[in-house]
Amino acid sequence: MIEFRDVHKHYGSLHVLNGIDLQVAEREVVVVIGPSGSGKSTLIRTINRLEPIESGTLVVNGTPVHDRKVDVNKLRRDVGMVFQSFNLFPHLTALQNVMLAPTKVKGIPRGTAREKGIALLTKVGIPEKADVHPVRLSGGQQQRVAIARALAMDPKVMLFDEPTSALDAEMIREVLDVMRDLAREGMTMIVVTHEVGFAREASNRVVFMDGGRIIEDSPTAQFFERPREERARQFLSRVIHH
Amino acid sequence: MGIIGEFSELYLFPNGLFITIQLAITSLLGSLVLGTVIALFRIAPLVPLRWLGGGYVEFFRNTPLLVQLFFLYFATPYIGIYLGEPDTFGFRAAALGLTLYHAAYVAEIVRGGLLAVDKGQIEAARSLGLTYLGMLREVQLPQTFRAVIPPLGNIGIALVKNTSLAATIGVADLLFAGDIVESRTFRAEEAYAAVAILYLSLTIPLGILVNYLEKRMLVAR
Repeated sequence: MIEFRDVHKHYGSLHVLNGIDLQVAEREVVVVIGPSGSGKSTLIRTINRLEPIESGTLVVNGTPVHDRKVDVNKLRRDVGMVFQSFNLFPHLTALQNVMLAPTKVKGIPRGTAREKGIALLTKVGIPEKADVHPVRLSGGQQQRVAIARALAMDPKVMLFDEPTSALDAEMIREVLDVMRDLAREGMTMIVVTHEVGFAREASNRVVFMDGGRIIEDSPTAQFFERPREERARQFLSRVIHH
Repeated sequence: MGIIGEFSELYLFPNGLFITIQLAITSLLGSLVLGTVIALFRIAPLVPLRWLGGGYVEFFRNTPLLVQLFFLYFATPYIGIYLGEPDTFGFRAAALGLTLYHAAYVAEIVRGGLLAVDKGQIEAARSLGLTYLGMLREVQLPQTFRAVIPPLGNIGIALVKNTSLAATIGVADLLFAGDIVESRTFRAEEAYAAVAILYLSLTIPLGILVNYLEKRMLVAR
């Protein structure tokens, strides 16, 4: 469903993606971990072309994402994205945030979009906040609305870019619960996170990045029990014991 | 008795006030629309559009409004630009001049507001599949206008006062009415005091309206 082949990208002199080869199959949940500055966020942001790449190929749902002829707006409908800083639209209520893309991008009638929006807010556990603006929501609630907003387009893949890094401990749990449910339902997910607990329970595979390269790509259980690479071992001992 | 005694001249004030209001509303709407378009040019992904927007702002902001009005009124007939019949010509020239001039200021304010919108907002909108224009319409512009209401209010008030320059190109506005009353009654102090008070009757409510809008938008944000 997603395939990177020898993808490269620089920020100035920094080789932020250095020959990435990665495949993600349908219904797979892949967690990307690694130290900060290792290229994880850049990697995930290339999938919906928020970041351009310089060479190599990246195919998503059969579409070569970075081909100039590709209609990027059409591609993005099928790729949901959740950001570290939530990025809810502050001038719209929670429900309006969720309804925006279905009505404006897909042209779904407001009534239908509304029903679906309420169903999605119920799914993420906050139907009572439908008519509230984002400023009046906690961080955890905002992130759950953001997940509902992305799901409203019925994406084939969901990308999570450090979805809990801006949250307090108690709110991390409520967001991870929603993500676990999604994983269980068979959503294809790529998750950049430092949450080792989530990775262990909900993912099929762990990809460890450092210095713009994928250092290790292993099934989850194997990665945590006997990581092959020394750098992955070091990183794990730090994040687990701190 | 004073000016109130000269009943035959007083009708000039409501007529002038009406023309001033018409001129202000036309130019205000015009400069909001044109200024927003210029602002979008100034931040457009295409470099030539940015140059065009920049050139517009520099030209209209750096030449006197009165000169622009004189050009539109006196010079356009010689260069083949038709703005209307003699009875409507002055008003149209004034409305066009006021629009062009204040659009430059509106553009600078709106551009600042557009650039102040968090980049994450734009990324979130685009990642949902909204086109660049869809993102502008649904996300970036609504947030911009909420933020720039106070400075736009200042431009609006300046514009209302600047409409008085239209009197110099023969538009029968409020100041023009004052001039006529003064020349017929020789009561300059009362005539111009009345004109000033009538301008205040427009600008002060406009200021109150802007404050009200600002408060309402803060709640929604």
